[in-house]
Amino acid sequence: MRITELRKKIGKTDLYVEDLNIESGMIHGLVGPNGCGKTMLLKIIMGIVEPDSGTIDYEGLKPSEITMMSQRPYLMHANVYDNIIYPLKIRGEKTDPAEINGLLERAGLLGIKDQYAGSLSSGERQKLSFIRAIVFRPKMILMDETLSNLDSDSEKLFREMVMERHREDGSTWLIVSHQWDEMNELFDKVHHMEKGRIV
Amino acid sequence: MEWLRGVFTNPAVLSAIKVTFQMAFASTLISAVLGVTFGLWLQNHEFAGKKVVVRINRTLMGVPPVVIGLLVYMLTMRGGPLGPLVLLFTVKGMVLAQVLIITPIISGMVFSYAESAVPAIRAFAKTMGADKKQTDRLIISELRNEIYFCIITGFGRAISEVGSVMLVGGNIKGHTRTMTTMISLLKSQGIYSEGIGLGVLLLVMAFILQTLGDYVRKEQIRDENY
Repeated sequence: MRITELRKKIGKTDLYVEDLNIESGMIHGLVGPNGCGKTMLLKIIMGIVEPDSGTIDYEGLKPSEITMMSQRPYLMHANVYDNIIYPLKIRGEKTDPAEINGLLERAGLLGIKDQYAGSLSSGERQKLSFIRAIVFRPKMILMDETLSNLDSDSEKLFREMVMERHREDGSTWLIVSHQWDEMNELFDKVHHMEKGRIV
Repeated sequence: MEWLRGVFTNPAVLSAIKVTFQMAFASTLISAVLGVTFGLWLQNHEFAGKKVVVRINRTLMGVPPVVIGLLVYMLTMRGGPLGPLVLLFTVKGMVLAQVLIITPIISGMVFSYAESAVPAIRAFAKTMGADKKQTDRLIISELRNEIYFCIITGFGRAISEVGSVMLVGGNIKGHTRTMTTMISLLKSQGIYSEGIGLGVLLLVMAFILQTLGDYVRKEQIRDENY
């Protein structure tokens, strides 16, 4: 994916990406301080926010092959299991309960799979969001500090899950992080962002 | 108990109950379809004058029913533009007046809920790869509790309405007399106890309907999405 001359101004955020190449099959990090425009860039890539100008060449990637995990994930008015199978359902794909239960078990959500998703803690919400995003095997995954509310053991587990999934299907990851932490060990390439610019 | 037995054997009261619920159900159903569609459409479209449309809708939410009653009366009277349809002093005419009162209430409430919830639902649908149809279906499904509440509010308004119903329906015994217009008549005749009895009966019936609605809908725990 190539982003060229992209501009967007909303409030204090003045985003300008002159040229950013997100090579497929790699795990990219997008690192920078709070409020520098990282989330905005992800939303533009996802198509949630329209840029003022500039181009994004998706190089054949369809919108339905990209997903994004937000910092505050949206959960449907349904139980944990139904939330997770939603992307499979809308694609008309058959759900494999064994596979889904396996993912839920690893994430520590199996015991609460019938629980109403709105009642989950913020950490559990992030875990659910992670499983829901990978279950339909998208080609590109955008992560907006998705693991920030997890304890260190869970964060480690999810880092491993990112690596496993990446090795399995060669998916492209763009992971936002506001600080240099253990997450950065995953990255094949790191893009630094400051005041709306890639530096 | 004797009074209650009297109520259910009195053909005039039974007719008023039937007309009340016929009118309330029909007008709520039509208003729900129009109001929910318009409320969601308004949220999803940007156009010049949108703010004015929203303001007009909010104004109509509080319009005095008797004004709507007068308007429908003038429209449906023999020499009025809808005169040939012979709607005056009929249940259909009463439904028309009720629809004009309830639709802005439902659309205004749906718009207000949609304004705060729909952007997040749309963004989520996009991240899941949902197409337009699937997104629309998801929005309705996610707002089902709010939409239900809007419809129930509309129904409450329909069942309790007097002014417009009296004007358009004419309070004709056994034909367009509703429970509320009957209460009004009983009051003017000084028969207070029966009027209060009918009022209590109306409340009990509304309560039973609400309970049935809640049972069908299944209560859900409040969540933290918005």
